[in-house]
Amino acid sequence: MNSAQIIIQIIIALVAIACAIPGTFLVLRKMSLISDAISHSILLGIVIGFFIVEDIASPLLIVLAALAGIVTVILVEYIQKTGLVKEDTAIGLVFPALFSIGVILIAKNANDVHLDIDSVMVGDLSFAPFDLLQINCIEGVPDSCINLGPKAIWVIGTILVITLTLLITFFKELKVSTFDAGLAAALGFSPIIMHYGLMTVSSITIVGAFDAVGPILVVALMIAPAATAYLMTKDLKKMLMLSCFLGVFAAISGYWLAHVLDASIAGSMTTVLAILFLLVYEPIITSALVSISIAIAFFFYQYYQELLVHGVNFEHLPLGEKIHTVFSKFILLDFIYCIGMAVSLAGFLIYILPKRGVIYGYYKVQQQKTEIMLLVFLLHIRNHEEESERHVKHLNEHINWQRLRSKTIVDLALKNNMVTIDDSIISLTDKGEEFTEKAIDYIITNKDAEIEEMKDDFFLFRG
Amino acid sequence: METNYAITVDDLTVAYNYKPVLWDIDLAIPEGVLMCIVGPNGAGKSTLIKSILGIIKPIAGTVSVFGKPYKKQRSLVAYVPQKGSVDWDFPTTALDVVMMGTYGSLGWIKRPGQKEKKASLEALEKVGMLPFKNRQISQLSGGQQQRIFLARALVQNASIYFMDEPFQGVDATTEKAIINILKELRKAGKTVVVVHHDLQTVPEYFDWVTFLNVKKIATGPVKDIFNDDNLTKTYGINYKVSVQE
Repeated sequence: MNSAQIIIQIIIALVAIACAIPGTFLVLRKMSLISDAISHSILLGIVIGFFIVEDIASPLLIVLAALAGIVTVILVEYIQKTGLVKEDTAIGLVFPALFSIGVILIAKNANDVHLDIDSVMVGDLSFAPFDLLQINCIEGVPDSCINLGPKAIWVIGTILVITLTLLITFFKELKVSTFDAGLAAALGFSPIIMHYGLMTVSSITIVGAFDAVGPILVVALMIAPAATAYLMTKDLKKMLMLSCFLGVFAAISGYWLAHVLDASIAGSMTTVLAILFLLVYEPIITSALVSISIAIAFFFYQYYQELLVHGVNFEHLPLGEKIHTVFSKFILLDFIYCIGMAVSLAGFLIYILPKRGVIYGYYKVQQQKTEIMLLVFLLHIRNHEEESERHVKHLNEHINWQRLRSKTIVDLALKNNMVTIDDSIISLTDKGEEFTEKAIDYIITNKDAEIEEMKDDFFLFRG
Repeated sequence: METNYAITVDDLTVAYNYKPVLWDIDLAIPEGVLMCIVGPNGAGKSTLIKSILGIIKPIAGTVSVFGKPYKKQRSLVAYVPQKGSVDWDFPTTALDVVMMGTYGSLGWIKRPGQKEKKASLEALEKVGMLPFKNRQISQLSGGQQQRIFLARALVQNASIYFMDEPFQGVDATTEKAIINILKELRKAGKTVVVVHHDLQTVPEYFDWVTFLNVKKIATGPVKDIFNDDNLTKTYGINYKVSVQE
């Protein structure tokens, strides 16, 4: 790692944190799309600023861009307030209008400067480490400047410090106005001030992140980490910390993914974010797919390097041919290693990820069915004194269950020390008695205060 | 006489997009009553509460709380919004929601500490929700959520309580529990104002009633004015409610 690489990683990590914080609140306020609107409209601010000062590096550009973002929010709200169109439509009307004015202005008047559409769309970090902040320069004297390091770090660092300070200072106010604007207003914490405060911070952050990732992917950096964190925790503070962590993780690993694939940094970061979200949203399937891909890629890369060393020229081969050449080198043992690696990786991922998704959902439903069966069985035993009704062999007839099922249920009850079997006659233990009592109570009254501690053992009572 | 009234509303008019939803309301709520506001859908019941609390800005009229503007009397007033007005998937716990009730007395920037936490736990205890203090709020039933909201108002330790449909979507047990707490509040000399829908229970639960349908129809003690005449005036159709006493 050279110093330029380190600097780029620091910049994107800072960008990721600065985006994740306002992003979390946007997600909770169901305003994710407003970040998309702001990120496009600021182009107009940047262009207008450029025309005024004719200098792409001027701080005025940042101010005007942030202003354009706030104007967008105001316009969206104004249109929405007329009641003629809904909020999403208002967003869809406002930002393309402002963005397109910016695009036309660039095309007409700024063709010769570094404000081309491509770099504006996806951002460009390659030169960020060399764009230094220098002060005290004396005109005409070389090396007279005091060098303060890359400018981008200063810009995004300042924004991050401001964001963090505001977050820590007004955390309580932000929380209450996000959760319950009516209460916030009644308590004297103007939700309007909090709203525009958040919008201003979001605008400034987006402007700061603009250079690094461009207007489309900055949305991903704001929303995806927060949306993922939202699925992982039910605590606002943890959600904030998690979205910062996920943002930084995606930034750094996205950087290296881009390095390996020789692709755009912003694009790779967003891909990592998408995978992170999928891992949490549908853990089992995604873990399996990701693990298999990583395992194959790992071996593929080794053979690829080996072939390169042996002088195979891949340059002129079409993609399919390339892949075929490398795979043909695989031996059986490689596939076994590959599967071993994928299985252990997937196992690890599934173990640490939250229990959610289609497969887990199916498992949960089966589990609930079993528990209901268990309860029916326990009730049956409790309600019948006569031995004939409690005989192991007669369960099938009396509760009308298949043999296999009754065995599963009896085993489950035995395992939990809820029943004992003497001479093939089943009787409830004290624990089984108590469990049945509470469970029936719960089902009838729906009062779950008493069974709080049982909830960890059984799905049935988790609502 | 002014000081005997908890809330005085003079000539209050509120409009959404130039359509008046409250028209020239004069209302004086005596201190220490348990009052309900009744009226058909769209009568402006919630709007009345919200404009008293300064959440909605009226186009005319004044509101005073114990003779002073609401802004100076915030600490005397607690508010329970409609349960459906917030997102119950918000990542927070029952205890944390109740703690929000203490934010008003804390003011800007200051954070809640041990004292606020203790008060919140006591409020949770009062509404019978202490075992659920660490439960994520989306994991609570509708009635439990309403109790959490009530606890949040209790922790404000106010003199006047405004509640917007606290009985909406709760079962009979919870309704009884809530009304018992409201009656206790009245016993302690507090004023309670409730937006209410179930006309059958008005005589049983409340001692003061305001009929509202864009205009104020009537206000006064339940035993004097809760009659078919006012109900018909408010709801427009011939209402028959048997008032048992």
